[in-house]
Amino acid sequence: MLASGVAVAVPLPRLAGMLNGNGTAYAQGAPLPVRFGTWFFGNGIIPDRWVPSSTGQGDAWQLSEQLAPLADVKPWLSVVTGLGIKVPNYSPHASHPCAALTGAQTGGATQVRLPSIDQLIAPAIAGGTAYPTGIHAALSDQTGATTLGLAVSYRGPSAANPPTYNPVALYQALLGFTSSGTPAAVDPELSFRQSVLDAVAEDANALKRRLGAEDQVRLDHHLEGLNELQGRITRLAAPISTAPVPNPDELYPARGLDGSISRQRAQAFADLLVFAMAADLTRVFTFMFTCPASHGNYADCGLENSSFHEDYGHRLSRFGASDATRGFNTGVKYAMSNLADLLTRMKDVPDVTGTLLDNSCVYVTSCVSESQTHSGVDFPLLIAGKAGGRLKSDQHVRLLDENVSKVPFTLLTALGGGAEAFGEAEGRVTSGIAELLA
Amino acid sequence: MKLDVTEAGAGVYPDSDSIPEPGVTGQKLMTHFDNLRFGTIALALTAAWMAGACGSDEKAGTDAASSSEGAPPTGDGTSGDNPTPLEGLFLPNGDAPSATLHRLTQSELTHSLQDLLGADVPMGELEPDVRVGGFSSIGASSVAVSPAGVGLHELQVLAATGHVVADEARVRAQLACVPENTADGECLTRLLAQFGRRAFRRPLTDAELQRFTGLATSIGGAEGSNVLTGVRYALAAILQSPSFVYRVELGEPSSADGGLLKYTDFEMASRLAAMFWDSVPDDELLDVAAAGSLATADDVRLQAERLIGDPKAQRSIAGFTRELFELSHLEEAQKDTTLFPTWRESLKEAMREELERRVLDMVFVRKEDFLSLYDDRQTFVNDDLANFYGLPAPGQPGFHPVEFAPESRRAGLLGAGAILAGHGLPQRNSPTARGKFVSEMVLCRSIPPPPNNVPPLPPQAGPEVTMRERLALHRQSAVCASCHSMMDPIGFGMEDFDSVGLHRTMEGTSPVDATGTLEGPGLDGSAFNGLAELGAALRRQPVLGPCLVSKVYAEALGRGALKLDSTSIGELAAGFVASQHRLDELLVTLVTSDSFRFVEPKG
Repeated sequence: MLASGVAVAVPLPRLAGMLNGNGTAYAQGAPLPVRFGTWFFGNGIIPDRWVPSSTGQGDAWQLSEQLAPLADVKPWLSVVTGLGIKVPNYSPHASHPCAALTGAQTGGATQVRLPSIDQLIAPAIAGGTAYPTGIHAALSDQTGATTLGLAVSYRGPSAANPPTYNPVALYQALLGFTSSGTPAAVDPELSFRQSVLDAVAEDANALKRRLGAEDQVRLDHHLEGLNELQGRITRLAAPISTAPVPNPDELYPARGLDGSISRQRAQAFADLLVFAMAADLTRVFTFMFTCPASHGNYADCGLENSSFHEDYGHRLSRFGASDATRGFNTGVKYAMSNLADLLTRMKDVPDVTGTLLDNSCVYVTSCVSESQTHSGVDFPLLIAGKAGGRLKSDQHVRLLDENVSKVPFTLLTALGGGAEAFGEAEGRVTSGIAELLA
Repeated sequence: MKLDVTEAGAGVYPDSDSIPEPGVTGQKLMTHFDNLRFGTIALALTAAWMAGACGSDEKAGTDAASSSEGAPPTGDGTSGDNPTPLEGLFLPNGDAPSATLHRLTQSELTHSLQDLLGADVPMGELEPDVRVGGFSSIGASSVAVSPAGVGLHELQVLAATGHVVADEARVRAQLACVPENTADGECLTRLLAQFGRRAFRRPLTDAELQRFTGLATSIGGAEGSNVLTGVRYALAAILQSPSFVYRVELGEPSSADGGLLKYTDFEMASRLAAMFWDSVPDDELLDVAAAGSLATADDVRLQAERLIGDPKAQRSIAGFTRELFELSHLEEAQKDTTLFPTWRESLKEAMREELERRVLDMVFVRKEDFLSLYDDRQTFVNDDLANFYGLPAPGQPGFHPVEFAPESRRAGLLGAGAILAGHGLPQRNSPTARGKFVSEMVLCRSIPPPPNNVPPLPPQAGPEVTMRERLALHRQSAVCASCHSMMDPIGFGMEDFDSVGLHRTMEGTSPVDATGTLEGPGLDGSAFNGLAELGAALRRQPVLGPCLVSKVYAEALGRGALKLDSTSIGELAAGFVASQHRLDELLVTLVTSDSFRFVEPKG
């Protein structure tokens, strides 16, 4: 297993000379980009070992046992504890993550009732990037007991953004946006593809007129996808000069099969997501480490080849409950080590001003708090990054019994979402958490 | 339907997800959702399972609040208004669904591209399916395409069309003509009109045809380009159009049919091709539609019989088999090879093929009672699978028929490795997962998700405690027992097969006890010991046939079967009995029925 902080290929940052006198915006007045990511892990935590022992900022608080792997990025962290899921728990591992991601109850067969937080923030920050609705990746393709499904990003009901499990596919996609320095002749096929998409959009619009309201929404999603692809092809026609795109096969040849849980696979994705954000190809990502209630196995960190949800989350290990508790704790720390690998890379990459992590906001959550009882009390919630100076960090904020929705609402407003509320019914909130804002 | 999800009571749900529930592949939904099998009325579903205990969601379908008191399980379907052939079949309430776009499933997209462009087209990653109630066709009625999915689809279509035009022999084989140059308007028009008719499952409009021929000539005439490149991109446009990506079957007003919308002849061609071939229609079917000869039930029967007689029908039945028997669980199953040293990943593929062959053999070769699969002993194995099962290896490549000996504990379709290994955890059995599968997919029980704040199981470990004993403790809690009693006692009857599907006599240090019962409303309470007796007991349950009929019906219509379908399903179930449970006859009868040929107008 590689240590964290592996060398990252750094795209050339936009020049500081392009900024205004205060370094707070581009000279032309466009705001500096901020990035938003959701980093999700299944099966929850052990609250006693997750919640830091004291609250406050800076030296006043220290990382807990389960958060210890995040030591390198403590100055960028806000740990929010004490909040609870207010949406009724009708379906363990589905109601809770839906509440934490969308502010609403699970949608059942349509998965969600409302869009997830990343998709609410995306329009506010995406700018003209190649992936305006984000890059969505996942480590484990194992389903779980009563899960939400294999996605944590949703544009709305029945409109998931299914993640990719294949870092090589992402690498190849990103490769298309870069050049080695010598301007290559523009591929004529790019304009052919664009003509095709124009024709397809005409077809789609003609069809849309014949449809009922629900199908029109589906076709609108499709048209948005076509439009996004058009924009991406435009970007492909003007490749940018960068350092090499980090190649998973060169850097992590022993990372394991697509869909398997391995820290090297997570690092391969971390390299690529960091590259894509630093090169401003996307400002939004989601990363699903494991799905809600994942049955995936954590053999990569020395646990048995068994279901993490069953044998550890529910302590049903063949070696007994205390062994299971030890293993579960190991698994949570392992997840946080994988998160640290991403955040450390973001911390180490220079951005227009500061580092990528300075200008990002990564929202970290899970599908339950205490795994054995499917608890929604004292829910795991982390925020990493300062969102370009809009968020405070290096703090532990404990707010007993407040609504979990307050965290995504705070992030939505901080990143320019301009919303008056987030969520619906018991999940709805109209105020955020002042302590998080700079 | 007005539903206020906030009024339903939490905490009435029977028990826990300390139960293994292997999920599904693709864009998978939680398995507990899978029993809520009607994608287009998700809110009703939500209310249904919010409303309370196992089996009580029948009432909850229309009024979540009124049944939220957590009534004890009633099982379902025993309320009296189902006709007799449906005894024991739970059908939830719900409004009559209207027509919606059907996004091609991965299987439909793959087979359509193969049928349109050649069996050897390269296939890459596709947008995952969403399964609802176990079936991707139900999810297909409500899912959208994601931005990433639009990108994947473009890559796929460019790869497939590029493959064809790279070789003139392929162009000649797949398309109506080979254009000389971009001035060859006659050929371009003919080629695109014919290709477009199959891809869109209806003739192109003049505007569409102009759009695509315009693309072919402008791209083909670009500097450094040529006419085949133009053709390639015109084909790519057709294949990226929503008219290909979705089956557009909306129906038309039909004054003679009581306000229902009737699917047009071309829409029927589209539906029949999807149903029997998982693909686009062939030219013959489209010609029949063009001639107005898919308008009556008899017309439809004639074509249905032709389609099901074509070898392409096997892939559709194989696809149904994979979903009905939850083979996605097998696909993603993990096994600990330190505990099960003879397990190999390649067995999954062999087990899948074994199960498909058993079903296809019954439907297309033996043409006998489909339900006899549950207790028969004939199967197909290759060398690997024979060795794994401990049978004599055929000694030649491929799969060969074998019969398990009468004294073998492995009997019936549920004894197939695909079922046993697919519903087992990496290191141990899960009677609950096996029982849940049988209960939901074979007996059509409806099992809600586990409740909030499940008390942890008492800690225990060691080989002296059997899974049966652990689950008995679990069922001491009434809230747990109401659902587990629908699952565990069935799974117990399969306990003499381990998590990879091998026969065993011991569980740890205890002798295996493979006794179980079929208990609950609508079931006869049969006690059984092992798979052979379980299979025989299943065949005695009146719900077995109607349940299968309702699954076929839901898959075909792309929506869950509802109470308002009782009459239709009752008639089909009666016909199924009359045909001695011939699945092929059921399918043909189904597509000729009003349910398949008509649809409610938009409310």
